[in-house]
Amino acid sequence: MRRLATIVLTVAIAGAASVPASAYLKLGTRLGTRTVTLKWSQMPIRYFVTDRGTTGVTSTQLQQAVSRSFSSWEAVPSATTSSEFAGFTLANPSTGDGATVIGFQNRPELDRTLGATSFMVDTTTGAILEADIFFNSAFPWSVAAQGEANTFDLESIALHEIGHLHGLAHSALGETELRSGGRRVIAAEAVMFPIAYATGNISGRTLKADDIAGIGDIYPAASFTRDTGSISGKVTKGGKGVLGAHVVAFDMRTKTLVGGFSLSDDGSFVIAGLDPGPHIVRVEPLDDGDVESFFDLTLNVDINFRPQFYDKIVVVPRGGGTSGVELKVVAK
Amino acid sequence: MRLSRAVLYLALVWGACPAVATAQVYIGRSVPHAGTVEVSGGGTFSGGYDLGSISADETRNTGTGTGPFVLFTATSRTKPTLGLQARLGVFAAKSASLEAGIQLARPILSSQLSGDAESSADVTATETLTRLVVDGSLVLHLSGLSFAGGKGVPFVLGGGGYIRELHEKNEVIETGREYHAGAGLHLWFGQGKHRLGLRTDVGVSVRNGGADFSETKHTVPTAGISLAYLF
Repeated sequence: MRRLATIVLTVAIAGAASVPASAYLKLGTRLGTRTVTLKWSQMPIRYFVTDRGTTGVTSTQLQQAVSRSFSSWEAVPSATTSSEFAGFTLANPSTGDGATVIGFQNRPELDRTLGATSFMVDTTTGAILEADIFFNSAFPWSVAAQGEANTFDLESIALHEIGHLHGLAHSALGETELRSGGRRVIAAEAVMFPIAYATGNISGRTLKADDIAGIGDIYPAASFTRDTGSISGKVTKGGKGVLGAHVVAFDMRTKTLVGGFSLSDDGSFVIAGLDPGPHIVRVEPLDDGDVESFFDLTLNVDINFRPQFYDKIVVVPRGGGTSGVELKVVAK
Repeated sequence: MRLSRAVLYLALVWGACPAVATAQVYIGRSVPHAGTVEVSGGGTFSGGYDLGSISADETRNTGTGTGPFVLFTATSRTKPTLGLQARLGVFAAKSASLEAGIQLARPILSSQLSGDAESSADVTATETLTRLVVDGSLVLHLSGLSFAGGKGVPFVLGGGGYIRELHEKNEVIETGREYHAGAGLHLWFGQGKHRLGLRTDVGVSVRNGGADFSETKHTVPTAGISLAYLF
């Protein structure tokens, strides 16, 4: 008998993730002492779209934006994912009905949430059984090709939510600032960054290296194992492991960034899906306001250390890994 | 352009040789002739070169400034290095030989990391490469310009080669090409058919590829000193 659990992940201006990250940007769930990765066990992912639009977006335009977003993820050559539009439905995107539904819902009480993905998973295997995405129609939306002032780009947010639907958690590759009314993103280098770009901005329609590495890590194509490599090591402070440190690998040849986290008490981290060649490695703590977007708050995530670089150029081999990278950080 | 000019100089020197060849000759009974072999081995110097500055950029949000958000900047350089070389030359004529060489060096690749958006301390990250250069050259021996009773013989050379660079742990190999031109001097000891000598040379090498993520050509000074044996 399957034990089912509903896991909700929220994304937008202020995210609230209630699950631990099982790897640097994968969703996971605890099974005893083990953490299992959330992923679909069967492809294609069949989804319905709610036959209801919102101001400025018809249901057909919603379906087209969702389809383009799925296609963007499916175009990643190092990953094997596929999807199938099963039709329009009158059902709301609510968990527990056995169907994956994507649609608008008016949730004015969630005044900082543009969209959210919820799952029903088999907690014995981590297999996703159902995932539902809602876009909050309390906000203004647009599907204009070049974006539209004062409206959020539906395709950008759909791309992010469908990343969650595949099992990706949030990426920390971005910078924010605290302003009245909440945090604002200054810059980001991952679609899976938890805070959306401003209205009118369509930068979120393009997957970045970090997103591509993440989807390949969950659903690896043969080329992922053959053509990419990894960096692994530890983050330590005073000889003890640091949990929740954000480790970034910068590819000196492609000038791209891929991030990961130290995910165990001994500070171990692995960043997979990297192009072969020389990389710069940098570690930083999460911003205190961001921790809940990435980790279960019951975890002892350490944010009290200074950002720093690794003093060696780390070379990633094709189809292999470079291990033993120890980042020794010091308290602020 | 520089390479073309060097080739032109070589051609001019080659054309000039026959006119002065009778004025001064190698010392000893047996001057080099077609089939004479020269082997040499010694040390090399290869200059460093800049790999440029790159930045780790993030995509800016609307209304937060212009241009990409720079997380940090990496300014990289391959440092000058000493190495070992071995060469084998076969004279095709009295004043010309074809030469094959192999050079081994361990240059340091360094990257100065600075301008961190969150004030990480500047760091110079490094790695040591293992560089192998296999090359071939045409060497023109300017016997007409020999001195010290024929013991000192200048030469000019030019050619090209293959670069193979291994990153640390030898798991990643990068390849490239190089073209070189230079001039040098043989100082021979003794007068016999078999003779020992000292060989020095300086030149320039135009390189691209290898562990060079800047993907541009670099012109580096080179120098070498070897013990040579002629037979």
